[in-house]
Amino acid sequence: MFKTFLSLRYLRARRTNWIGVAGIFVAVAALILILSIMSGFLAESRRHLRGNLSDIAITPIDLPIEHGGAPSRDLERMLEIIEADPRVVAAAPQLVWYGLLTPPGAERAMQRPMQEAITLVELVGVDLEREVKVTSFGDSLREDLRLPTAGRPRNPDDPFKLPAGYRRSGAYKPPMIVGEQLGYVWSLRKGDEVPILTATVDKATREVNDTPSNKTFVVTGTFRSGENEMDLQRAYFDRRDLADFLALNEEGDRDFSTILVKLVDYERDKEAVRVDLYERLHEAGFLHAPDSSYREITTWEDRRQSLLRAIENERVLMAIMLILVLVVAGFTVFAILSMMVTEKRRDIGILCALGATQRGVMALFLLIGAWQALLGSALGAFFGIWGAIEIDNIEQWLSRVLGIQIFNREVYYFDHIPSVVDPRGVTLIVAFAVFLTLLFAVLPAWRAARLNPVDALRYE
Amino acid sequence: MSHYDDLGSSDPSGPFGAVTGQAASDDAAAATVLEARGIERSYKIGGRSLGILHGVELELRRGERLALMGSSGAGKTTLLNILGLLDRPNSGTVRIQGVSAWDLDHNERAALRNRSIGFVFQFYHLLAELDAVENVMLPAMIGLPRSEYRSRRKELRGHAREMLERFGLGDRLSHRPGEMSGGEQQRVAIARALILDPPILIADEPTGNLDSATGERVLELLLDEQGRRGTSLLLVTHDERLAHRCQRIVRMQDGRVATE
Repeated sequence: MFKTFLSLRYLRARRTNWIGVAGIFVAVAALILILSIMSGFLAESRRHLRGNLSDIAITPIDLPIEHGGAPSRDLERMLEIIEADPRVVAAAPQLVWYGLLTPPGAERAMQRPMQEAITLVELVGVDLEREVKVTSFGDSLREDLRLPTAGRPRNPDDPFKLPAGYRRSGAYKPPMIVGEQLGYVWSLRKGDEVPILTATVDKATREVNDTPSNKTFVVTGTFRSGENEMDLQRAYFDRRDLADFLALNEEGDRDFSTILVKLVDYERDKEAVRVDLYERLHEAGFLHAPDSSYREITTWEDRRQSLLRAIENERVLMAIMLILVLVVAGFTVFAILSMMVTEKRRDIGILCALGATQRGVMALFLLIGAWQALLGSALGAFFGIWGAIEIDNIEQWLSRVLGIQIFNREVYYFDHIPSVVDPRGVTLIVAFAVFLTLLFAVLPAWRAARLNPVDALRYE
Repeated sequence: MSHYDDLGSSDPSGPFGAVTGQAASDDAAAATVLEARGIERSYKIGGRSLGILHGVELELRRGERLALMGSSGAGKTTLLNILGLLDRPNSGTVRIQGVSAWDLDHNERAALRNRSIGFVFQFYHLLAELDAVENVMLPAMIGLPRSEYRSRRKELRGHAREMLERFGLGDRLSHRPGEMSGGEQQRVAIARALILDPPILIADEPTGNLDSATGERVLELLLDEQGRRGTSLLLVTHDERLAHRCQRIVRMQDGRVATE
């Protein structure tokens, strides 16, 4: 009984104890606040990194399948198999190729002398109806203010519709939608005619044709996926137009490269669906055996692996650094308690004389550490969570008071500081702070318990 | 061993009744509450053994006042620490109401010290963070199990207050040691030693740090309480006048009991 009572009394009486509390408070609050912001950044970055990628992509490799000859090219059948899975929302084919885009007019190239005269672009042919069900393509279509011919809201049902007032000269020119950044860099306007140059592969010999293909497309709009690379280097077409361009329009040609799949619950099913689809599509002669070295089914995370890992690494590193702060706070508690044990030698002797056990004395000093840990981490958790929720207002207030811009919104894609408070993370941080502090309190407490009461009482 | 067990909190009457009641029921043990036989104690200093006590024999009977005298270096303090169960002798036994204290384990010995021995020190040794009443209640706080202490806190508090008031400290109840004079502090310390009504009171120069008038009043109080409760008192002192107020005087010389 005396342990609780006396530890609280000692805690209150010695001001130095508040240094320990403050240290733990700062460390815990910083850990929660910064990790919340990092989690926010991670979530936000994931969103941006993802761009218009689908949950899962199936990319059949055009090499003979074991015992089965060439992979089947029956797109309808393939979509049927995939969409038969109840965990799948929808699937959409894409035809992907690369091409060189040249500026639409010499005078506009002159306006931007820094730009090269030609740029490599990923050409993506989509089935519009299916595509909007599977990726965020539909949502990424922009009523782009930078394209002066814009003015009416974009009709997402028909983004390939040629702009009003466009009058074509000569042969039919199919429509294309360019990434917002690409449009900005090249000063593209709706109705601009853009020539695209590409190399095609001979179907029989699989060799690159000697003469490149060349076709002119009409810009009908832009999209903004949020992923920089995609917005700078991608252009969307109707899949049939692109197949025509690439001379894949004959019966039996492989006029798709990838099937995009959207799942009902991606986080839950991603691995299971991958395994099941592999199995089924292999049986139907579309893919190689699941255990072959080909990786024909990938999740979007697979495709952005290196970048996602980099962000996650950053978060882990940050956590390690902040844990060091916590360790420093633990040292403070160690120092304070050690001081206290020395200072309270006589008290320890008295307590022994009055019948306290060694275990009791140890518990007394451990409790002092525990109060510091609990108080510090409770305060830290409260203010850490509060800070994480109110970070935008805090940042704005700080910017105003200090007169500097702390969070430059132009550097990032987001106009607010993202933060995600993870209750499990908070619990873990608090538990770890308490555990660590107690660990640091053990040594001084043990020293107190080992004190010889005769020595402790000897001198005034 | 069974004797000791009865000191535990298993007795519903609590520590007050338990100790004295038990002592009264057992005539053999009651006659001698504290008994030291063949106490040897030496310290190792720089590899050499320095003998302090050489076979001390001592008995303290129930209700008796015993003065322990001797020049400094005679081993009084060492003997006191051994009798008070704070320091382990190299050999010899210390029996408290028949229980061989140094054969108990650490926790049992701590409980025995808590229930059976009240200490009064020369330098009062109160806890600076606690007020007078809290200091007096400290032995109960240490010794009683949490639940028992909770349920009896009011009663104990009343007991402590009443004792302090009787000691003339009615207006000092919520004062901390730093706010009290030496005499007042020593009176609080006496109340603390008596709160659990132990059979043995060990006082080490209780007036050594007080002026003679104050010391006299404190001593009066101590002897008064001791007589009233029938507690046995072991008084360590330099002062002949003080020693002569005890029934028996034991003089120590060179680690031995010289005269009785």
